[in-house]
Amino acid sequence: MPLPLFTGKVAAGFPSPADDYIEKTLDLNELLVRKPAATFFARAEGESMLEAGIHPNDILIVDRSLEPVPGKIVICALNGALTVKRLLRRNGCWVLAAENSAYADIDLHEDLELVIWGVVTAVIHLL
Amino acid sequence: MAPLIALVDCNNFYVSCERVFRPDLWDKPVAVLSNNDGCIVSRSQEVKDLGIKTGTPVYQVRHLVNKHHIQLFSSNYALYADMSARVMSLLEEFAPAVEVYSIDEAFLDLTGVCRDPVAYGQQIRATVQRCTGIPVCLGLGPTKTLVKLANYAAKKWPQTGGVLDLSDPVRRERLMRIVPAGEVWGIGPRIAARLNRLGITTVWNLASQPVERMQAQFNVTVARTVLELNGIPCLELEEMAPDKQQIVCSRSFSRRLTEYRELSEALAEFASRAAEKLRSQQSVAGHLSVFIRTNPFNPQEPQYQRSAGVKLKAATQDTRVLVGETHRLLKEIFRTGYRYQKCGVQLSQIQPASMQEQLDLFDLSMTIRQSDSQALMQAMDRINRRFPKGIAVASTGFDKAWQSKVERLSSRYTTDWRELVGVK
Repeated sequence: MPLPLFTGKVAAGFPSPADDYIEKTLDLNELLVRKPAATFFARAEGESMLEAGIHPNDILIVDRSLEPVPGKIVICALNGALTVKRLLRRNGCWVLAAENSAYADIDLHEDLELVIWGVVTAVIHLL
Repeated sequence: MAPLIALVDCNNFYVSCERVFRPDLWDKPVAVLSNNDGCIVSRSQEVKDLGIKTGTPVYQVRHLVNKHHIQLFSSNYALYADMSARVMSLLEEFAPAVEVYSIDEAFLDLTGVCRDPVAYGQQIRATVQRCTGIPVCLGLGPTKTLVKLANYAAKKWPQTGGVLDLSDPVRRERLMRIVPAGEVWGIGPRIAARLNRLGITTVWNLASQPVERMQAQFNVTVARTVLELNGIPCLELEEMAPDKQQIVCSRSFSRRLTEYRELSEALAEFASRAAEKLRSQQSVAGHLSVFIRTNPFNPQEPQYQRSAGVKLKAATQDTRVLVGETHRLLKEIFRTGYRYQKCGVQLSQIQPASMQEQLDLFDLSMTIRQSDSQALMQAMDRINRRFPKGIAVASTGFDKAWQSKVERLSSRYTTDWRELVGVK
């Protein structure tokens, strides 16, 4: 929902001179979506990224237009399923790192085919 | 400056849309079915390689489906429309003029836009693939007919890397000599057969014909096609799709309908959808007609078909008015004792809503009611955009027994919060 942004102080109870001060409405899309055509939403299912602040049922905002550089949290297709992990470069090898000590990292060797699906830019966590 | 047009065409579009969210199907045979889950309308390369043609009824290839584990999907139009809009909006970044030709193809005017058309085409292709996951091919050249041909070749021959430029007449001739005339855009099977009887079998044969002769023996369209094949543009880029002059919503049912109530619910739903389309192009309709019919391909059953229409007192875009008229018309034509297979609603005499005249100068209540109606319809559309199928007029029914079969529908990954793709 767009929320109106007021500039200046408005006294409560006073009969609405505030209307004159509406400059624009804040739109979360503006903040969170840089390229709408390339932006998709996904639902997090596991707990492997808890320490990165991604909880089960959170909504991930994914921008497919971004370069998947090391350090980014990415969604990738691994063995036919979409999975969210942090992409790292360790000793010259690519690693899909979990952010939960209970989960093992996945080292990518040559016979493992990996396709990066998109780069995660934000997470929506409902309280 | 020499004109340069591109045709961007998505590969196996419906199948590609399904695959974006299903990595497990990236290398598996996949097909998408028509309304009612009847025929195959989109095929992955694996399905094409099995020799299954587009339009094949599923029951005819059931053995192949089972043997090769072909994954079948019902048509998920919410998903396809959203993915299409994404592709088209990306294309608009590459060209000053874009004509959206269909859900999965668009003409781009690239005249004077780039130095190296093939490299630019590859850049477009890579961008669409990366941002949406949809693979596309590009045909380039000076006319629409040539870029259609180029696109056909780019799809057929992987050596092209998915991009082919036919601006060069020498390359054009080489391709035209090996492609049958019937593959040319605008040459239907009937004309192709007539051309073949005259010994015109390849595109090259067709392109070499005198234009006057083609116009005399066939028609102006075939003559224009010959000019276009020679690099002389006859067809313009239509940037704005013209508003629809007729809106039809009709459907075959998964089972036969016999009750008045079932048909009236179906027609109410179709009238609602037609009204929604009407409002999305800011138009009003002056005429409404409905039709009902039994299955004409079943000679064992008694046959009946009838249609009825009405000129509306005032051109409208109000769902309630259109649904009400639909019911009145159905009462006129409905007969018991038949098994109905199909029905539909058609809106015509369509004009911009802004031109709507005030009917009676002295009947102010009419104008007031009209603005009420517009506000209500706007609210309804807004709710339905946020919560698909959120609200409807009650006469569309609740059990929807008449609805067509969509037994293999995938999630609406991009249009419904409850159906997002899951990631582990």
